[in-house]
Amino acid sequence: MADKITFSLEDEEFFGPKGSFGIPKFDSSLEGGIPRGFFVIAIVETGSGAELFGKQFVSPAEEPDNTLYVSTSETGAQIFSIFDKYGWPKDIGVRTMGEEYNQRVLNKELQASRFRLEGFTMPDIQKLAQTRFVDDEAEDFLTELTNEIMSLGHYFRAVIDSMDFFFNREDPSRVLAMMRMMQAHTQMNRGLLLCTVSDSTVTKAMEQELEMLADMVLKFEVHRMGNEFDTRMVIRKFRNSPENLAIISFKVTAEEGITPETVQRII
Amino acid sequence: MLPSTSYTRDRCVTGVHGLDEILRGGIPYGSTVLVAGTCGSGKTTLGMEFLVRGSMTGEACAHFTATEPSVKLLENIRQYPFFDMQLVDTGLINVFDMDVLYSWLGLTKATFELEDVHALIKAITDIVNTIGVTRLVIDSVTTLCYKIKSEQLIRDFLFTLGKKLSTLGCTTILIAEITSATQNAHWSSFGVEEAICDGIVVMGDAERMGHLIRFLQVVKMRGSGHSRAKYALELTPLGVMLTPMLKWGSVGDKSAQWGL
Repeated sequence: MADKITFSLEDEEFFGPKGSFGIPKFDSSLEGGIPRGFFVIAIVETGSGAELFGKQFVSPAEEPDNTLYVSTSETGAQIFSIFDKYGWPKDIGVRTMGEEYNQRVLNKELQASRFRLEGFTMPDIQKLAQTRFVDDEAEDFLTELTNEIMSLGHYFRAVIDSMDFFFNREDPSRVLAMMRMMQAHTQMNRGLLLCTVSDSTVTKAMEQELEMLADMVLKFEVHRMGNEFDTRMVIRKFRNSPENLAIISFKVTAEEGITPETVQRII
Repeated sequence: MLPSTSYTRDRCVTGVHGLDEILRGGIPYGSTVLVAGTCGSGKTTLGMEFLVRGSMTGEACAHFTATEPSVKLLENIRQYPFFDMQLVDTGLINVFDMDVLYSWLGLTKATFELEDVHALIKAITDIVNTIGVTRLVIDSVTTLCYKIKSEQLIRDFLFTLGKKLSTLGCTTILIAEITSATQNAHWSSFGVEEAICDGIVVMGDAERMGHLIRFLQVVKMRGSGHSRAKYALELTPLGVMLTPMLKWGSVGDKSAQWGL
């Protein structure tokens, strides 16, 4: 059984029982924000603004070195350009697993294809004859990710955008097992963890599993209304506070990023 | 006496003490020879000495090791005074780890399909062609073939590889591990290697007067006459030494089975 974690009074006062979404209007419509220790799943439709929401979620960065943003599709430069645009802190931890995958896996596969198609050159052969060990340990990005989240301390804040990368490459039950570990770590350390997943990536059964696991489930939707798009966030689950379930229409502004326009309670 | 106009094939002089006499001058150039032996019978040492002797006359040599890491192989072999690490450092003997080659080719699956086998053949022949390798050892073909699914694919692999290496003028030794060198007539693990190779050399242990003696016997060598007798094999600091085994003193019927 894990040791009971004790939190200092100073930390409890500083962080408080709730953390900000990074969007003040959301915080006020949800009675001050999101309870510490919540594991949040965002099920997203393409183009619904969830990537921006993820970045905004880490922007409060109460402790920058205890704040982590993991992207599986964007480059570091792309992420920081958005942080620059909105004036969000850039001294947080950012990990670009998509870039790492390209470097560590795809480049090797490309090189292997070149060797297979074009053969070895003399320098290749000389290097091959001098290489005594296989350096490519099996790449396990899921374990790396889990370890990275588990290494975050009390009151951490983290976003993983998106879990699609892992669901598409790994056994879904293994991904789910790792998510359970991350959820437990978040709960015990009063952290805030947001994981995004596309609605088209997981099966209905898996989606239900994720909803059961999460403390809060957000659904990001986008609808076409004539010549415009209507983007909404549906709060489908809010553990122990069903009164907070709501449909929130939002727009993206150049000043504030994601900004709620209307809030409709689900009764 | 043979007529003076008779044609004789050029030989790859192995340089291994006694072996060239058994082979009437050496292995016909471009042949693929299966050296099948039990564990500890001296196959790896024989294969390495074959390369050392060639490299000492300026031939480019290659050794593909699948059974043990090259670091271990070199550490073991450098204990023999006949081996000079300079031959590796100067690139006359090129030692390749099969695991590294698999990794470079993206062959990470547990078993190889047809396209993987073709990639492997292409890689080996590429290396032979680019460096101009004239002596090649694969140690062991048994370990390598364990990764190939079907007997037909093993046959294709060995046949195509042997043909291509022969075209490139490379004399090849394929080392094979067998469990017994005397109990039956199989000199390979998969039963196909022996039919495809140009030559078969068997190595094992024979009991004589209460002693276990290593022996070597050439069973087949296409394009060359050769002795079919068993020869005692000694691993000396100067390399492998082969001497005729005496007929007396053999144990049981096994020696008769092997024509002694």
